[in-house]
Amino acid sequence: MIAGLAGDAHAHARLLRDLLPVLRRFFRRRMAGRDDEIEDLVQEVLIAVHSRRATWDPARPFTAWLFAIARYKMIDHFRQHRSHCSIEDVQDILAVEGYVEALSARADMGRLLAMIPAKQAQAIRATRIEGLTTAEAAARAGIGEADVKVSVHRGLKALARRVKDSIQ
Amino acid sequence: MKAEELIIALAQDVPPVAPNWLGRRLVAGLMLGGGGTLALVGMGLGVRPDLMIAMHGPAFWIKGIYTASLGVGALAVTARLARPDPGRMGRVWMLALPVLGLATIGLGQMIMAPRAQWLSMWLGHSARVCSALVVLLAVPIFGGLLWSFRWLAPTRLRAAGAMAGFCAGAWSATLYCLHCPEVSAIFVLAWYTLGIVVAAGLGALVGPRLLRW
Repeated sequence: MIAGLAGDAHAHARLLRDLLPVLRRFFRRRMAGRDDEIEDLVQEVLIAVHSRRATWDPARPFTAWLFAIARYKMIDHFRQHRSHCSIEDVQDILAVEGYVEALSARADMGRLLAMIPAKQAQAIRATRIEGLTTAEAAARAGIGEADVKVSVHRGLKALARRVKDSIQ
Repeated sequence: MKAEELIIALAQDVPPVAPNWLGRRLVAGLMLGGGGTLALVGMGLGVRPDLMIAMHGPAFWIKGIYTASLGVGALAVTARLARPDPGRMGRVWMLALPVLGLATIGLGQMIMAPRAQWLSMWLGHSARVCSALVVLLAVPIFGGLLWSFRWLAPTRLRAAGAMAGFCAGAWSATLYCLHCPEVSAIFVLAWYTLGIVVAAGLGALVGPRLLRW
């Protein structure tokens, strides 16, 4: 997205392509069985992501922005077609919502990790995301175990600070 | 059309986006509409003849700073509502600060003046038309902001419309200061603010229809 904002057409196309499955999943979960409408909505959101990309604030999570657009387009669609979104299975939706969000959080995670020093980011990625033990991470990076622990600790602290700042 | 074709078509045209593009777009719309309002004030109402003298007194600046600070605050809130996820709107209460400040000044003026003058301080010479003129003069500015919004992506249309109306009202009141000869703070507090609030209400009314995208 950042490269797209800078005018990189290839990166932009790749982003739009990556969003396709995410958006299809988003709409399918909410309006299952209406595949034509879903495809229309997906394309509308892609157009909005493209033509209104300047309304994304790089200080805020990309996924929040994307889903806000998707939600808006869906509500607008329902309003136009006077149909209803069933809320019977709202509990299921809420339950799986976390899953979708977790998947797409990865995109934001990469961005956040890029904001802290590379060593800290690597240590966090190894121990917290890939699930290696401290010893394995230390061996892989060729540094001491204590060094890994300190890096993780400092990195997480820095991340928490960034997230806090971006929420405010 | 297939999604893949769409993506290829979209990726044909990816001009870089300047940082702070959204803010600039809104300010451009504001200036465009402000130009129209300024022309209306200058040619329709006429700039007050004693403007140069008035600029040496505090009353002119109190009015101007009051309305302009509301305008700046409202523009900041409008800019947030122009994004799909506006985030927390915790700072909206700051728009009440200029109002409180002006109320304090007005109270001070009332304490200093004899009670018999209070009514004339409140009504001035133009209480009947002041609010209506502020609302009317807000129309070009609101139009300018609508033009900016064509490239933006508000998702809370009513709130965005209300805030754009508020912003237009505050800036129209600022420009109206060039014409209006009133001096008392409670006059401004009552009638300028009323005009701005009415503009915000009208904005909320038309927002959902005009800001759809």
